[in-house]
Amino acid sequence: MAGLSFDNYQRNQYICAKGHAQPKATSTGTTIVGCKFNGGVVIAADTRATAGNIVADKNCEKLHRLAPRIWCAGAGTAADTEMVTQLIALNLELHGMWNDRQPRVITALTMLKQHLFKYQGHLGAYLICAGVDPTGAHLMSVQAHGSTDIGEYQSLGSGSLAAMAVLETKWKPNMTRDEAVLLCAEAIESGIWNDLGSGSNVDVCVMEVGKDAELLRNYLTPNVRAPKERSYKFPRGTTAILRESIREIVDVEETVIEFNKPEAMEVDA
Amino acid sequence: MKAVENGSTSIGIKAKDGVVLAVEKIVNSKLLVPGKNKRIQTIDRHIGVAYSGLLPDGRHFVNRGRDEASTYSNMYKEPVSIPHLMDRLGLYVQNYTCYNSVRPFGVVSIVGGVDANGPHLYMIEPSGTYWGYTGAATGKGRQTAKSELEKLNFEELTVREAVKHAARIIRQAHEDNKDKDYELEITWCSLEETGGQHQFVPEDLLQEAIKFAQEEDDEDDEDEEDTEMAT
Amino acid sequence: MNGISVDINHLKKGEVSLGTSIMAVTYKDGVILGADSRTTTGTYIANRVTDKLTQIHDTIYCCRSGSAADTQAVADIVKYYLQMHASQLPPGETPTTKVAASVFQEICYTNKDGLTAGIICAGYDKKNKGSVYSIPIGGSIHQQEYAIAGSGSTFIYGWCDKNYKRDMERDECITFIKTALSEAIKWDGSSGGVVRMVLLTEKGVERLIFYPDEYQA
Repeated sequence: MAGLSFDNYQRNQYICAKGHAQPKATSTGTTIVGCKFNGGVVIAADTRATAGNIVADKNCEKLHRLAPRIWCAGAGTAADTEMVTQLIALNLELHGMWNDRQPRVITALTMLKQHLFKYQGHLGAYLICAGVDPTGAHLMSVQAHGSTDIGEYQSLGSGSLAAMAVLETKWKPNMTRDEAVLLCAEAIESGIWNDLGSGSNVDVCVMEVGKDAELLRNYLTPNVRAPKERSYKFPRGTTAILRESIREIVDVEETVIEFNKPEAMEVDA
Repeated sequence: MKAVENGSTSIGIKAKDGVVLAVEKIVNSKLLVPGKNKRIQTIDRHIGVAYSGLLPDGRHFVNRGRDEASTYSNMYKEPVSIPHLMDRLGLYVQNYTCYNSVRPFGVVSIVGGVDANGPHLYMIEPSGTYWGYTGAATGKGRQTAKSELEKLNFEELTVREAVKHAARIIRQAHEDNKDKDYELEITWCSLEETGGQHQFVPEDLLQEAIKFAQEEDDEDDEDEEDTEMAT
Repeated sequence: MNGISVDINHLKKGEVSLGTSIMAVTYKDGVILGADSRTTTGTYIANRVTDKLTQIHDTIYCCRSGSAADTQAVADIVKYYLQMHASQLPPGETPTTKVAASVFQEICYTNKDGLTAGIICAGYDKKNKGSVYSIPIGGSIHQQEYAIAGSGSTFIYGWCDKNYKRDMERDECITFIKTALSEAIKWDGSSGGVVRMVLLTEKGVERLIFYPDEYQA
């Protein structure tokens, strides 16, 4: 059976209540934002993936394509955002083919929220979903439990507070494309600097009405590793060779087995 | 369809304030208890059914109607509307024409009642088609019954009058089958008379209707030509 | 089950909730629904301009309180049921508020173990004019002249009881709701933002919005 199994859910709850630690799911401490502008919408994300207090990936991709002109920024459990996003992308494509129409953002959002609600929050996917369709530009967000919000600007993830602070002070109505991209990048940067779970670079995706979506991978790279001043390699010959011995550690044996040729068959009358 | 064509006559009348259903029950045996073996059934408190044809099929049809009605009212907390119920029953009956493992229903049912939008009368066939009627008839005597129904003035007719006419029409439709005895069964459903519930008419009204039918019949015998035309 | 018990009577961890002040009031021309606009995740305001007044049919709306995910899902399902129901009605007729509220009640009751949803369903229909139904957490249903719900409502029970009048005029009713909700917002930490209203009358739907500087004055 595909999907999640809840067979041991109650047992695990019981074991945890007894004081045993629960294995932790890999979570991407993340900053993601989205913002509308005149004639389109832009979303952005940082590129740090964490596993506990370890940085698992310094330049991961958190912007997912649901449809050519509908993109999604994901926070929460990395595996869940990736898989749920792939599933919905697949279903959206089928939906588009069945109906011979371009998929709409509201369709993607409804599919996401119904899927996430079905799993009652056990799929830890927090998404900002944006795009352009025949009805215009849209920006919405979905939480893991299946609730959705609509707004002119959104932020999600552990760095959402830092990002929201930027959005709340610098957002204004009727922005241009460039203003919106800059604002989103700045909001993500705020997450990168001020939130431990977020870091590395800024990815941006711009969706304009009537145009193809534009993914600006590593739009900002404020954390380029500086080349080391010195080489710490040991020069060849640093360790003196005192003795040398070479041995055959594999014996090669050849055995030829010859099978007896079958004797001529006896043919009785 | 053969089963229906030769079944006992059933009629329905939609009056201005409600509906009346009536059936002619042929008495096949002297041992049958009069007044028992009811043929008109109730789907919901406000909906009644009379049918001609294979009686077990009719009962199955009514059971399905009851299921549909209760499913609806469990969800929406209000009595099912009759047009909507007919929609559902139409689908159900039609389904029995689609598969070679089942045979179509052997009944034509007349469904009548009163809902929030007033009185309704429908007749549904084994094919699943149904039509709304002011006067409906099915079974052996349907031709006679139909021509008699056409003479009624439905705009002015009250259920109380319709009960009498129903008795008369059933009696007339029975003419061709005079060798067999029959028992009359009439139900009605109206806001004024029954508070919107589908019920059997009271015994005194039934007797009055039977008497009326008999007198009309006697009159007709006296001067065949002078049939009153009420349009 | 083996003495293992799980406490389900709380919001799941990290769940978005509508700590809320919502109300619906019948008045002369129909009914008015009102709500604050705050959505919270723990102590963080996830959305300060939420729309908790959700359309179910042409002139039937609901106010949502409790879990955002649960109430949105339930409202979506009821909306679907009502579309199916409306398609079966005679031309020109629309579903009654009572039918909408009954569907809410049925869903909230049958799934009571899994839902945290307190809903007020209000609407205008030709037969009953404005009507208000309250469907609190257990899945019961109560028809009322006016209803209040959500965490902020506890602070305004007395005020509403004292000041509610039957068949109020439009402006009088708007002021009644505005004052009630502004008190609820003042005293309840998890209510706030703007005050949204929806007026449902014979003429259709009208939306109003009031910003803090106006309703606090």
